[in-house]
Amino acid sequence: MGEYKTYRPKRKILKWLYLYVFMWFTGRAIKIAAKVDDEVKKEFDSIPNNFNVALEVLPYGPALVVGKTEDGKVQYLGSSTKDKKIDLRMIVHNIENAMQLFTFQESTAISFMRNRLYLDGEIPYAAAFVRVFDAVEVYLLPKIIAKLAVKRYPAWSLIRKLSGRVKIYLRAGIGV
Amino acid sequence: MYLPEYCEFLSPVQIASGHHVLEKIPGFLKALNAKRPLILADKGVTAAGLIGIVEDAIKDNVQIGAIDDDVPPDSDLKVVSRLSDVYRKNNCDAIIAVGGGSVLDTAKGLNILVSEDADNLMEFAGANKLKRPLKPFIAIPTTAGTGSELTMAAVIADHDNFIKILFGSRFLLPDIAIIDSRMTLTLPAFFTAATAMDAMTHAVESYICLQKNPLSDAHALSAISLISKNLLNVIRKPDDQEGRLLLAKAATLAGMAFSNSTVGIVHTLGHSVGGVCGVPHGTCMSIFLPYGLEYNYHLVNPFIAELLFPLAGPEVYADTPENKRAEKTIEYIRQLNQDLHDATGGRHARFLSEILNRDGEQMVKKSHFDAIARISIGDGTKFYNPEEIDYDDSMLVLEASWDGRPLNRNLVKKNA
Ligand SMILES: [Fe+2]
Repeated sequence: MGEYKTYRPKRKILKWLYLYVFMWFTGRAIKIAAKVDDEVKKEFDSIPNNFNVALEVLPYGPALVVGKTEDGKVQYLGSSTKDKKIDLRMIVHNIENAMQLFTFQESTAISFMRNRLYLDGEIPYAAAFVRVFDAVEVYLLPKIIAKLAVKRYPAWSLIRKLSGRVKIYLRAGIGV
Repeated sequence: MYLPEYCEFLSPVQIASGHHVLEKIPGFLKALNAKRPLILADKGVTAAGLIGIVEDAIKDNVQIGAIDDDVPPDSDLKVVSRLSDVYRKNNCDAIIAVGGGSVLDTAKGLNILVSEDADNLMEFAGANKLKRPLKPFIAIPTTAGTGSELTMAAVIADHDNFIKILFGSRFLLPDIAIIDSRMTLTLPAFFTAATAMDAMTHAVESYICLQKNPLSDAHALSAISLISKNLLNVIRKPDDQEGRLLLAKAATLAGMAFSNSTVGIVHTLGHSVGGVCGVPHGTCMSIFLPYGLEYNYHLVNPFIAELLFPLAGPEVYADTPENKRAEKTIEYIRQLNQDLHDATGGRHARFLSEILNRDGEQMVKKSHFDAIARISIGDGTKFYNPEEIDYDDSMLVLEASWDGRPLNRNLVKKNA
């Protein structure tokens, strides 16, 4: 260890980092869920090709950008909206609200109700994307936490939940 | 009282209501610094003699710039741009809209064009694109129901491209809403019933849905009580001017409630049935209202129970055991629909298979259910409903409301 000055990150930076990692992982998980889960696949079928969706925290990000290519493939497009064509934006006003949402102190529905999350784009596609997001949270999170995140925890079979969870964690984490 | 951690409430529209309020318009215009209003209406409004009433009430004290009653039943982009020519050619400096939702939406679109001195309305589509107040705008609703005079949204169709464009901004709100009993006095019984049930639904849904808050609740409860006390009387005695005025006030109160705490599944399904089958909005509302309560029963039954008081009055409320009140509320609304059905000679539909068009043909077919359910899951109001709404959920409610069966609450999917 050299003579480095101790750098105390402000709490905001830690929060930003948490959000960055969480949204990065969720973005990759969405792409994989579109392959392994029939319902998520169907939701993406209802979204047009060459269409990008961003979930974005103001003012400095991070963001989660996913999209469908010209030929209908679901892609994770990274943590920034810069220089990207965005067709639907779901915007969280500030980092504190984003933390409430992504540490599951508040469901997506309630964030909407309290005007902490707002939409810029067509509502039917937003509704489809929220269903995708909910399904991915059910895969990624233990039931006790996912229940706080989604409006209605679904009655999926244990096999569907576990096999999906394993596939998504493996591929999103390792990238296989 | 239910107190959410956070709530918003905005209602800056001046409301003037009474039996002779139209006569006050010249004074209101003066206060808004306007001299030559353009009066907008549709053919139905003119045919009912309402434009004549408005004209007579104001013409001695204000110079009317122009009157245009060519607004179609479905607001349209081209119509808005045609009207902006009328407005400019006649040197108008204010808008008075006389009519239902479509006339008011058209007026809102027109106000954008003439205030921003623009030609292309699309530049202002979406939320919060307007940055400053628009021209003076007075709304005179002629159906006691929609509450559009208090909403900051306008939907205008681009019929060439088959899309509906949504505009949302606080600057779209009228400066003044005029509630005058003469405007709804000649509304036919069947239409009065349907529009009043739309208002009832605004109040009930705002009371049970997720944006519920004490400010909107107060307005919702008053609205429900006024409608419940007056609706059947007015249907049986259509020239009851006092009852008419109270219904119109109730619709405005309900509008204040729901424009601040949004509606849920009754509107979700109602919008789609309207879109797919062309059923009038109020008819859908009456039919789905009891189902909306049954669908959300497991999550909000204390709120539903509270509604028994304004609906049925203190005696019934006190005589009903606490754990039976929510069910009694639902029963009461079903009975209200039945009474309206009887009082309108069967024209007020109680369930989907009973809705007929002018030629006596059934408007909703079971084969429409798939399309209705598909559109429902993309409707914005579903976000505000207490319970999630997916395709199967919509089908469940549609099947039950086909022939008026109460919803089997055990079949509603709940948090696993
Ligand atoms: Fe409505």
